[in-house]
Amino acid sequence: MGYLVGVDIGGTFTDFVSFDTATNEIEVWKNLSTPGDPFDGVLDGLTKMEHLDGIQRLRLGTTIATNAILQRAGANVAYVTTKGFRDIPFIQRGNRKAHYDMTWIKAKPLVKRRHCYELDERLDAKGGVLKALDDNEVRALAAKIKAEGAVEAIAVNFLFSYLNPAHEVRVKEIFAEELPDIPTSISYEVLPKWKEYERASTTLADAYVKPLVGRSFATMNKRFDELALGGRVAVMKSNGGECSFDAAAAQPVQMTVSGPTGGVVASRALSKLIDVPNLVTFDMGGTSTDCATIINGEENFTTSFEIEWGLPIQVPMIDVRTIGAGGGSIAWIDKGGLLQVGPQSAGADPAPACYGKGGIEPTVTDANLVLGRLNAEEFLGGDMHIDAKAAHDAVKRIAGELKMGVEETANAIVQIANNNMVGALRSVLLERGHDPRDFSLLGFGGAGPLHVNELMVLGNIPQSIVPINPGQFSAFGFVMTDARTDKQRTIQQTSARFDQEVSTGLMSDLVEMAVNEVREQGYSDELEIYRTVDLRYLGQNYELQLPYGGDDFTDAGLTDLWKRFHEAHQARFNFHIPGETIEMVNLSIAVVAPSPKPTLTTLAKGSGSPKKKGERAVWFDKAFEKSSVYDRADFLDGQQVDGPAIIRESASTTVVCPGYVARADAYGNLHIANKRS
Amino acid sequence: MKFSSNGLYVEEYVKCTNCGTLIYESDRPACVESTDKELFCSQWCVDWAAAREKRWKQNA
Amino acid sequence: MDPVMMKILDSTMVSVCREMGITLMQTSYSTIFNEALDFTCAIANRDGDMIACAEFCPAQIGGMPLMAKSMVKEMPLDQFDEGDIVLHNDPYRGGLHTPEHTFFKPIFVNGEIRGFAVSIGHIAEVGGMVPGGFCGEATEIFHEGLRVPPVKIVSKGVHNKDIWRLLLANVRTPRYNYGDLRALISAVDLGERRMKEIYSKYGADVVDQTCNDLMDYSERRMRAEISQIPDGIYPFEDLVEDDGIEDRPYKISVEVHKTGDDIVADFSGSAKQAKGPINATLGVTLSATYNALLHMTDPSIPKNSGCFRPIRVVAPAGTIVNVNYPAPEVGGNTETHPRIAGTVIGALANVIPHLAMAAEGATHGNFVFGGVHAATKEFFACYDIEVVGWGGRSFADGNDACDSINGNCRVTPVEVFEVRYPWRVEDWVFREDSAGAGKFRSGVGYTKTLTCLNDEIIISQMTDRHKVAPWGLNGGLPGDKGATLFMLSGANEWLDASQAYGKISPSKYSNISIRKGDRVRLVMPAGGGFGDPKERDRESLREDVVEGYVSAKAAQDIYGL
Repeated sequence: MGYLVGVDIGGTFTDFVSFDTATNEIEVWKNLSTPGDPFDGVLDGLTKMEHLDGIQRLRLGTTIATNAILQRAGANVAYVTTKGFRDIPFIQRGNRKAHYDMTWIKAKPLVKRRHCYELDERLDAKGGVLKALDDNEVRALAAKIKAEGAVEAIAVNFLFSYLNPAHEVRVKEIFAEELPDIPTSISYEVLPKWKEYERASTTLADAYVKPLVGRSFATMNKRFDELALGGRVAVMKSNGGECSFDAAAAQPVQMTVSGPTGGVVASRALSKLIDVPNLVTFDMGGTSTDCATIINGEENFTTSFEIEWGLPIQVPMIDVRTIGAGGGSIAWIDKGGLLQVGPQSAGADPAPACYGKGGIEPTVTDANLVLGRLNAEEFLGGDMHIDAKAAHDAVKRIAGELKMGVEETANAIVQIANNNMVGALRSVLLERGHDPRDFSLLGFGGAGPLHVNELMVLGNIPQSIVPINPGQFSAFGFVMTDARTDKQRTIQQTSARFDQEVSTGLMSDLVEMAVNEVREQGYSDELEIYRTVDLRYLGQNYELQLPYGGDDFTDAGLTDLWKRFHEAHQARFNFHIPGETIEMVNLSIAVVAPSPKPTLTTLAKGSGSPKKKGERAVWFDKAFEKSSVYDRADFLDGQQVDGPAIIRESASTTVVCPGYVARADAYGNLHIANKRS
Repeated sequence: MKFSSNGLYVEEYVKCTNCGTLIYESDRPACVESTDKELFCSQWCVDWAAAREKRWKQNA
Repeated sequence: MDPVMMKILDSTMVSVCREMGITLMQTSYSTIFNEALDFTCAIANRDGDMIACAEFCPAQIGGMPLMAKSMVKEMPLDQFDEGDIVLHNDPYRGGLHTPEHTFFKPIFVNGEIRGFAVSIGHIAEVGGMVPGGFCGEATEIFHEGLRVPPVKIVSKGVHNKDIWRLLLANVRTPRYNYGDLRALISAVDLGERRMKEIYSKYGADVVDQTCNDLMDYSERRMRAEISQIPDGIYPFEDLVEDDGIEDRPYKISVEVHKTGDDIVADFSGSAKQAKGPINATLGVTLSATYNALLHMTDPSIPKNSGCFRPIRVVAPAGTIVNVNYPAPEVGGNTETHPRIAGTVIGALANVIPHLAMAAEGATHGNFVFGGVHAATKEFFACYDIEVVGWGGRSFADGNDACDSINGNCRVTPVEVFEVRYPWRVEDWVFREDSAGAGKFRSGVGYTKTLTCLNDEIIISQMTDRHKVAPWGLNGGLPGDKGATLFMLSGANEWLDASQAYGKISPSKYSNISIRKGDRVRLVMPAGGGFGDPKERDRESLREDVVEGYVSAKAAQDIYGL
């Protein structure tokens, strides 16, 4: 027994959740992030815990890989490939983002062409060796890379390596000898799937962030060791599962959306708990905002994440859309005299003007202070000193340029920020064919509850929910998750000709590999093993994924599988082709090590409204309106308040607009809806 | 478009003299025949063709 | 007019079309579908106007309304039943070329047709003179595969097996054709289902009214954009280098008339129709003109038939831009289309150079082949698409290796290509100094070399820009031309199709027999440059040299470094 601790290192704040497995008690807190060395912020927060040795497991979400990729701040990468094919990362696929846009500029890969090298090796389409790898040529290339001195990481991607990794593995061995300080990513380990460009792009991304992630994780690991927490700390992967520091540093591309997954895992748990099957999440922090969907109680996975259009990272991950806008987004006036908000963010340093850390540009947070939605005395439960005058002055400066009132300007800043957020919501709902009216908007993150009511109106979403502890909801997700490893391999068998022995062997190998990887990270409890196969009609190029039960491929198992494929094809595409040969393309294994989950306590029943704690003027639309102020902790199950109202809690503030009502459910989550509905 | 009497095949592909658009039987009422028996899909096309003729002569 | 409803309905319908496309990609058999994405999905109203489409092939988007209208003319609405699906590919009834198979499924709401779900896809094998559809030496439409006038391939939900048998008896790869055609049907099934949900959710009259409002809105936005162009008559010309039958160029000539918020593109000065397959149907010429103008206007305008209303096209019958029956025309849709679109862009570049692009490579390679696979004994056929360099623009270089603007196709991965077809890809490399030089250079072209692994593969091609270089703008220089070269097994020199096989055209030919060990090299053209190369930013130029796009010599001689 002990504590499960979730830590979410964000751009502005580092959030903490601890769950006491003995008492089911949950505690949350946060402090400012420390961009220079993120660990300082983690350490700072951990000092609030009395007994570090009581920590059973600490899970960390980090945006370090994400930021390096999005800000193009990764390493100088070399790309090593089959002779004749060094231009694959530049040729890409030849199509474009929009069908009628002559202004479109093709995305640049994460590598310079001058750092692309070829080796005279070649496999055929069945994985057979046409031209063997020459060790000497590899060593000569290593010498050349060393002599040039510009390269910090290497991505290796040979044609057909997903069928036969021997050449890639050998290159990695030689580079490890010749270039011990330069990490090498090979495509077979990153994404052993066909299609050389997508594999190249994914492998390049892995190499691109490897030095940075490796350094950062090594430091953290060491410092956790110093706290005697070594071996009890894990990092969140993009698939919503945890893994060890070493495993994460070895394959950092798995961390592309580490931080945001916590909110999605927590949202899935909430969806089941309160039986709201369709949620769209709105996780607004200081620096960025993440949106994702829970549909019928399940999160969505994607293998088509793109760094920007045309630069894929195809490892399986939770489908999260991130935009660079948050409470810290800076308001500014463009050349045409129009007010703009973001994408520049004040982040944790210099931070919004009101933080008094030297920032003078007005941010969304400053605007919320001017509008009375945030209150200087209440910020972070009064733990943080806030300079309301600095916020006012910052907004006033651009209000002067706009020849508008200070409050009108602040309101415009919030409205423009909201409109940017609606774009993110549209991309996960309407653009994927989902009607916003079938969803509830789940607002969390430090700034989510401030904006969620206005945003649900703008986005045509009929209701919104502010979960308990919204400011630390992502970190909360980290205590709700499991360790998970996904492995995938190309198999290429058909229903007409199926080698059961070979395929069963391949599956056993893969299971063993995944189980070992999980065990090596210290998970010794009972493991859950999920086997899935990708199937298609012989001739098609895309697959349907079906579960396969059992350790062996047998006549009975396969007959059932083929039958299920025809049924699945009918269900998914409204037709099937009876008698057609079916091809098995990939085999995937997921190994999950389940961990104990918190049981949430319920509130006592109540009626009417909780006690009003006061009143203050809050700006809505065109004027200040007298708004009631409540404390979140006072709400009982079933109690509700009418807007305009402000509901305070330590890490966040919920704004209820005029005409709307907020009601607490049995767990204390607030549900906001139009008064008339 | 002139279809065979049994309706199974096209006997003649009829197009506007100016813009080249296909003219089906149902389009006929809107069509205009020029003095030299050429078929146009609209008065606009008659006028356009005439104006072009004139402009090209001037430029030549 | 309800702007919120318009926004919701537009994005919902576009995402329905996208979802239809994803279904097509995921269920189809040919690489031209599932890798290249040479298809389009759209929703039409009952008059055949397009009310929404997704980001797939522009050539098909612009051609769709004319096909829908000819279908409705030949099959009046009262002849439809719920569950019917119509197939149509006839180039002489509004179509684009024989491979472009189009399915229409009526959307019935309470027993009344409200519109159609539409899918258009390029079927790789259509019968006719060569495997793969692109017969560079065709002289009649009958050489180019089976024409299908609008026919009900599904009646009241029941497949018409007689039509299926007729279709599949006339092609070399019936198993693949069935898979592809079935995928196209699956797409319209999905579109119909989704649209019915939308109609029942919002009410049929609300949806119809909103769709009309949406088309009016797009029309207003287009007119506002067109108004920005100074009034005037702007001429431009370009050439298709030959037609595969005679060694002479064919002129595409346009006069773009801009008056107020209207545009008329008059192609009356264009060449008489060719004997060979480079002719465009009227559908192609309309589509190409729309394509050019949509590329020069605000990309955020919702794409529907409203966009086309301010645009008129004059394309006299019997010319290369409106071919008369029964001439061949398979290359019109791929090669002549971008040439037509290029002339419209070139014409307007006189007055709105900041929105223009110098000539792009403007071909898709259209390398087609077929044969019996030694390993599977099954007949295979492939339509291989290759991409080009885009032209330089007033604000940026042209994109390297990018599909010509009439398509939005992807190249096929080497790993998919080799698994499927008995070729080995030897290399796929950018061509240094191929880019048209300019203040903003064009994108570069590339070279791809293939070695035949089968006893025999029959190849044909329908491409262009082997003789006439892509033009530059505002002092930008022409880009490098393309080529297709052959090195027979045991030989040691590269020859073009005229030299090696005695073909009239090096870019348009039919039925060359390639033997095991023979090599084919596809050299793809770049585009033209924009602005004086001497004005190129020196930093960018030095980067070009370091990155291997421009040689040190060219940097000195042409750019004056």
